[in-house]
Amino acid sequence: MILSVRDFSIGFQREGESLVAVDGVSFDVEEGETFVIIGESGSGKSLTGMSVAGLQPPTAFVSGSIRFKDREMLRRPDAELRKMRGPEIGLIYQDPLSSLNPVWPVGDQIAETLTAHGLADRAEARKRAIEMLERVRIPDPHRVAAAYPHEISGGMRQRAMIAMALAAGPSLLIADEPTTALDVTIKAQMLELLAELKREMALTIVLITHDMGVVAEVADRILVLYAGRIAEIGPADAIMLQPSHPYTAALMTSAMISQTPAKQDLNAIVGGAPGLGSFPAGCRFHPRCPRAQHDCLSVEPPRRKFGTVELACHYPIEAAMPLEIARG
Amino acid sequence: MSVSSQTARRALKRPKGLLLPLALLVVAILAAFVLLPGLIAPHDPIALAMADRLKPPSLTHIFGTDEGGRDVFSRIVYGTRYSLGVAIVIVFASALFGVVYGAVSGMASRGIDNLMMRIVDLFFGFPALVLALAVAASIGRGLDSVALSLAIIWWPGYARLVRGEVLRLRERPHVEAARALGVSEITILRRHIISFVIQEVNVRVTTDIGYALVAVTALSFLGLGANSPTPEWGLLIRDSRSYFGSAWWYLVFPGTMIMLTATAFSLIGDALAARRAA
Amino acid sequence: MALLELDAVSKTFSQRRSGRAVQAVAGVSLTVGKGETLGLVGESGCGKSTLARLALKLVDVTGGRIRFDGTDVTDYGSRRMLPIRRRLQAVFQDPLASLNARMTIAEIMREPFDTHGVRLDSGLEARIRELLSFVGLENIDIQKLPGQFSGGQLQRVAIARALALEPEIIVADEPTSALDPSIQAQIVNLMLQIQRKRGISYLIISHDLDVIGHVADRIAVMYLGTIIEQGAAAEIMERPLHPYTQALLSAAPTLAARRQIGWKRIMLTGDPPNPANVPSGCRFHPRCHLARDICRTDVPPLRAMPDSSRMVACHLAPDVTGQAGADVGRARRGLAPAN
Repeated sequence: MILSVRDFSIGFQREGESLVAVDGVSFDVEEGETFVIIGESGSGKSLTGMSVAGLQPPTAFVSGSIRFKDREMLRRPDAELRKMRGPEIGLIYQDPLSSLNPVWPVGDQIAETLTAHGLADRAEARKRAIEMLERVRIPDPHRVAAAYPHEISGGMRQRAMIAMALAAGPSLLIADEPTTALDVTIKAQMLELLAELKREMALTIVLITHDMGVVAEVADRILVLYAGRIAEIGPADAIMLQPSHPYTAALMTSAMISQTPAKQDLNAIVGGAPGLGSFPAGCRFHPRCPRAQHDCLSVEPPRRKFGTVELACHYPIEAAMPLEIARG
Repeated sequence: MSVSSQTARRALKRPKGLLLPLALLVVAILAAFVLLPGLIAPHDPIALAMADRLKPPSLTHIFGTDEGGRDVFSRIVYGTRYSLGVAIVIVFASALFGVVYGAVSGMASRGIDNLMMRIVDLFFGFPALVLALAVAASIGRGLDSVALSLAIIWWPGYARLVRGEVLRLRERPHVEAARALGVSEITILRRHIISFVIQEVNVRVTTDIGYALVAVTALSFLGLGANSPTPEWGLLIRDSRSYFGSAWWYLVFPGTMIMLTATAFSLIGDALAARRAA
Repeated sequence: MALLELDAVSKTFSQRRSGRAVQAVAGVSLTVGKGETLGLVGESGCGKSTLARLALKLVDVTGGRIRFDGTDVTDYGSRRMLPIRRRLQAVFQDPLASLNARMTIAEIMREPFDTHGVRLDSGLEARIRELLSFVGLENIDIQKLPGQFSGGQLQRVAIARALALEPEIIVADEPTSALDPSIQAQIVNLMLQIQRKRGISYLIISHDLDVIGHVADRIAVMYLGTIIEQGAAAEIMERPLHPYTQALLSAAPTLAARRQIGWKRIMLTGDPPNPANVPSGCRFHPRCHLARDICRTDVPPLRAMPDSSRMVACHLAPDVTGQAGADVGRARRGLAPAN
């Protein structure tokens, strides 16, 4: 086990009120797996994922524990966290420009991640930067190394960002919506690249996304967050192909447009995800849930084992039930 | 006195703690000075009282007296109308003209826009002091010539700001959506563009009042502005120079007022900018 | 007769700095019939958004003609366009950005009526309420600003506004792309219901083939400013014939197919194309795994395929591409490749 999150909560003070955005989340990530956190906006998926790297918003308050290789990441001094980001934890984002410095050649930025951590001298770092660019399948690494971020194409920038995140040899890669802004054909290239790098570099990946197609392709295990709480967690096959939680089932149907006859209404769930500060009582999904019963309105479902997964739902979908019926 | 460098300086920092309430208090006091000087000032600002020449601050003259025995506090109170009044006139006139000019330029075709912006550049590069000297030479020294010369160099800042905003907003989806709906260009400008530009202009106007006040008092200090015995603040400082060794209050109090006023408007401008960004 | 007809339209932008001309749309012909949905698919930079703007007459064409219900409107100015705009409405990608943040929902909903001088006997407020409840927003406070609503609610407002003047066609540019997955399905359903109830036509532009395949009657696939495949939606989804369409479709098979070991997508190499640098011959050849000599030199015309309504711009279709196309179609339905 490389990562162990226990009873993790994060929240904000707003106008004298404490608003809890992520509420008592616990999960483990095993070495070498691709662990995917899925959820819609406001689910707390990015807050959770970024907290693993010690990147909470400065105004947030946290509780619980996040242990990375048996070291507590919460309440750790910033200077120590910085030392870990790069050599131990790599980060990639949706927008590569947010992690690349616009006024610095790409190669120098990658080299910097090595020299800053004392992993190589300048000349050696340069050489390794070029190797890293080769490694992310950039065809002309010398040209790209000398270029500024705005001089290379979007796809190249995405690759350069991955090279930078992995240059110092981290064992854990956190990817926050890395393919969301990409076109489908480029997205496909990026997924392939990540899969290859994962094998070559023995990476553990924590992927944060709302794209079910991406999840289907890369996930070993999945954590589904809804309104700051865990809805369902378990092996990817069970969650994707036979979801037990009604919310997971709804997410999967929205990703299965191709299985609905053309021009027929899709099985959409009603309403929108609740925002911070307006989470409903009881099960937070109950206002949108086609299976909600009376007790869902007031009794918060405890997390429990259900077949091969764990979920928080009073009336989960039975495994034997075909998806069509389960959708309600 | 540069009008151009102020946008760059504008970091979006909301003034912390008591700064903003204090700034608002200063502006409220200034407003009272402008509106009701007779009620606030204890003495006549113009009449001479040679017996009381250059008296240090006391209970009767809290800011002391000048070389004519006049109460410095009363002169400052009455002078607010001139210094701040002219600054406000300059900024409002510049803003009004600049907004119209900038909006027309931003909506016009590329050729006309280019021409209009070349004209702006022409005014932009003009040195304020030279212009003020020239205006003073042609229509005579006085606050009206100060106002005219400062307005001439001030409006291009607004024209540029507004044109830039209009160009940016023209490409915004809500403007495109309005166009697709068939809304006329003039209504788009009014309803979907200017209403956003005005926010920016408000911030700039507030901050600029402070800078304009500094510019007005500076020109008066150089002898290009108000004439004696007008109690304009820059003129007070100019007159106080000869007595600095013996009567520090004569320089310090008007100087402090200029600084407080400029700072107060700048802080309020920052607060507006931060609120707009939020 | 087609309701909206684009006849060999093109659009060239001159870049401000370099002065170089970039052809965003290069001779595209499309028609949208009455009550029909045409789906236009393509990736970023292919010119699909420019095409939407051309169709809406938000930018002027540099070549070709645009006809609306038989009338040539290519050279119409804003005044002559006004009565056409009543019949031709638009919905954009980002609902928050496409609604004026300083106007209340009530003011936003009034705007089409004011603009076209429409007076209603039943009263404006009642009509606005009716429109909003038609799109599923029964009890919202119309005195609030857009910032106080969710993205899904605002897209419903944008659709309600587009419906206000009872148009015959709505051009929708990426109407679901900015929304959360569970909200996307709601908006797709809403658009389908509107069409069933009102017989409206749609030109829907999207990068999402899943959405397009579901809502469209016919599909046109755009690449670097040109249409490379066009035909009935069901046919294209079942057996895409252009290698680019195949790559797009194979990038998004069913969840089951993705989890299946052994499934292999058609992977495109190289970067997305740049309209400032158009390749010779077939515009797609640098990324095509089937490319041959003829593809590098000769521009493939958009030509009709035997025994179907399909048009494909590929030298190798359907003989070389047919089998791969059928397999892509099968993977989408969760089936293994044939033989």
